[in-house]
Amino acid sequence: MPESYRIVNYALRPAKAIERRMLCAAFERLYPFQSVKDYRYLGFGSIYFSDFQLMHRALGITDMVSIEKDVSAKPCLRFNRPFRCIRLKFATSSEILPTMRWSRRSIVWLDYDDKLNTEILGDIATVCLRAASGSVLVVTVNAHPDAEPPKDERDSYPEQTGQPFELGDYRLRLAKGLLGEKLPAGTTGADLRGQGVARVFRDVIHNVIEEQVSLRNIALPEGERVQYRQLFHFRYKDGAQMVTVGGIFHRASEEANFLACGFSALPFIRNGGDPCTIKAPCLTPKEIRHLNAQLPKKRPAFKLRVPGVPDTDVQHYAEVYRYFPTFSEVFFS
Amino acid sequence: MPPNPVTTGPKALIDASPTKDFFIHMLTRDIPLTRSILDLVDNSVDGAKRTRPDGNYDGLWVRIELNAEQFRIADNCGGIPVDVARNYAFRFGRQEGAKDTPGSMGQFGVGMKRTFFRLGRHFIVHSTTRNSQFTVDQDVDHWLADSDAPENWHFKFKKLETGLRIKEEDTGTIIAIERLLPNVKDTFALENFKGRLAEELGDAHALTLNSKLAITLNGLPIRHAPQQLFASQTLKPAFLEKAYSSQTLAGHRGPPVRVRLYAGVAERNIHDGGWYIFCNGRLILRADQTPAMAWGERHQMRAYHPDFAFFRGYAYFDSDDGSLLPWTTTKTGVDADSPIYKAVQREMIEMTKPVLTSLSNLARERATDGKEHPLETAITTARPTLVQEVAHPSIFSAPPPAPIPKGPKMQRIQYDKPAPEVERAKRMLKVRSFTAVGERTFDYFMKYEGGEGE
Repeated sequence: MPESYRIVNYALRPAKAIERRMLCAAFERLYPFQSVKDYRYLGFGSIYFSDFQLMHRALGITDMVSIEKDVSAKPCLRFNRPFRCIRLKFATSSEILPTMRWSRRSIVWLDYDDKLNTEILGDIATVCLRAASGSVLVVTVNAHPDAEPPKDERDSYPEQTGQPFELGDYRLRLAKGLLGEKLPAGTTGADLRGQGVARVFRDVIHNVIEEQVSLRNIALPEGERVQYRQLFHFRYKDGAQMVTVGGIFHRASEEANFLACGFSALPFIRNGGDPCTIKAPCLTPKEIRHLNAQLPKKRPAFKLRVPGVPDTDVQHYAEVYRYFPTFSEVFFS
Repeated sequence: MPPNPVTTGPKALIDASPTKDFFIHMLTRDIPLTRSILDLVDNSVDGAKRTRPDGNYDGLWVRIELNAEQFRIADNCGGIPVDVARNYAFRFGRQEGAKDTPGSMGQFGVGMKRTFFRLGRHFIVHSTTRNSQFTVDQDVDHWLADSDAPENWHFKFKKLETGLRIKEEDTGTIIAIERLLPNVKDTFALENFKGRLAEELGDAHALTLNSKLAITLNGLPIRHAPQQLFASQTLKPAFLEKAYSSQTLAGHRGPPVRVRLYAGVAERNIHDGGWYIFCNGRLILRADQTPAMAWGERHQMRAYHPDFAFFRGYAYFDSDDGSLLPWTTTKTGVDADSPIYKAVQREMIEMTKPVLTSLSNLARERATDGKEHPLETAITTARPTLVQEVAHPSIFSAPPPAPIPKGPKMQRIQYDKPAPEVERAKRMLKVRSFTAVGERTFDYFMKYEGGEGE
């Protein structure tokens, strides 16, 4: 199987692009902790380095580390690295994260293609234990419900499990296999359909972060104890259903800095189980220009108009227009 | 009739005092026989610590003798002072104000008494210090036969002399336990039990043995495996040193807990792989491979696996206030709910991760038929190094494995054929190995029958 970046150009995933810009808009507000350009950015750049491009251009961050698990892609990645300041590390994140230095404030975006699993939770645990106060952790995982398996697998299911095949039961077994005892007690097969997987994964990630932070705090004096504040909870679907969860760690004594960031002023900030669902409607450049000319709305009740576009699409656009990517065909010569 | 409330005076009291029988039963039920003997050795080691605060125990000894009739332990480690015996050593439980040996192994005030009751029904303690001597000679059945009233919980000195002048080398403690319980008798008669006890003594007191305390069991010196990790220019064990304040752990001022953690690789051994945990120099958990500690999904980790048989982790918890350490009263495991253990456990896990990644890489490197094995070579050529010699805090590092050779996906074929026929094929093909026979016959078939391929 080719790596996913050969199947889809990440830069062309509109919802993902919107998410990236929203995250960037939130990162801009970290300045009460320190100048944002002096943060370290840690991510999985792949060969497009879209997030790195944005974080370097928009935030001026120069301490950048991209982790790439595909060791055979070394020459390809080196060639595609857009800026000299990006350091490439070739190994899995679970190998790199525990051996990094964490004294610097970091923005860590663990942007996986995979379903949530124990290894990912291990990466999250590492960051929770090490991240300096003022650091941000963002985790994206695939939360697409498992499809019904092919017939031969369904036929052999009773033999392997002692149960007749049932989709919910099958999904629950897979989830149990991925998450073990971290799967919240009482989760049923019915919880793992549609948006349910995203809901469960968000809870699992959140619970692990809370647990790890509490473990970290045991050994710390009161003033140095670390708090985690959730800031991000996105759901979107450029193909597969994805869920993103994240937030900021700060020392209790730096509460004032956290408040000064004013994250709550951003409309996409979410502190709990309710997600910000990103929808990227398909619009023509002309429709976009037309809508932009009416935005931001004069009054909340103002009705945006553009011929032939469904109201829901117009509304979705109005929610994300500041972060909406424009794609066009360009002929290089 | 109007109710007649009684909330004062003797009539208001409910008897909740323990009976001796119950007490002995509860005290002894959970402690394995070998461990109860280790508890007595712990007391001797604490004596050695008091006598030689510099930690060099050269010339000090502990001698254990046991057979189906009697158990005896003798040491020359300073003896038990009379006031300690009178007020503390024989009491059940530790009380406020008890004199501490800083960094001692005895913590809960149960060890010695528990061992007496666990082993037999008659015990004799004879102790000599620089200025005193005493003997306690107690028949447990007589003691039990007396009532359970508080005044009948006393033991009595049989002999007591104070104000003496005794040379240091003549001080020490002798404990004998007689009228062994039936199951103890049976067990002590077994050679295998002595073997197991020797093994556990060596493990539990490895650090004390390092400091030259001579421990013998029925005349045989106890030996121990040193705590070693492989180290070289390219292979570096992880080492972390940290102190945790008593204020944060227990909410009061006091001596801190010092923690030293080491993780890396050593000789491959499926039974010895895992974490070793020491409290004040005493091993309380050996080669742990269970989910309770650092393995498996509970900790976002992989479960222990034969590939990880190279792994060794050593965790040393030391404190002058032993109550902060994560040991259980039987010293057979870790109190996983103690704040100090919870805090340190994550560090242990983070240290373990890179080692496991390297060991998985090693397994993969060994499975491929590449010419070079940089990772395996690094491990086989490294020098076993005592963890105490690892001086500087560092993270684990090992060379990357050989790259996985590019090429088509391979499939292994395996089959059995009569040996004479295979030998004949080997001669006909003029090859030396059975692998070559398999490969050449397959190649032959593909050449003539395989056509041009797909």
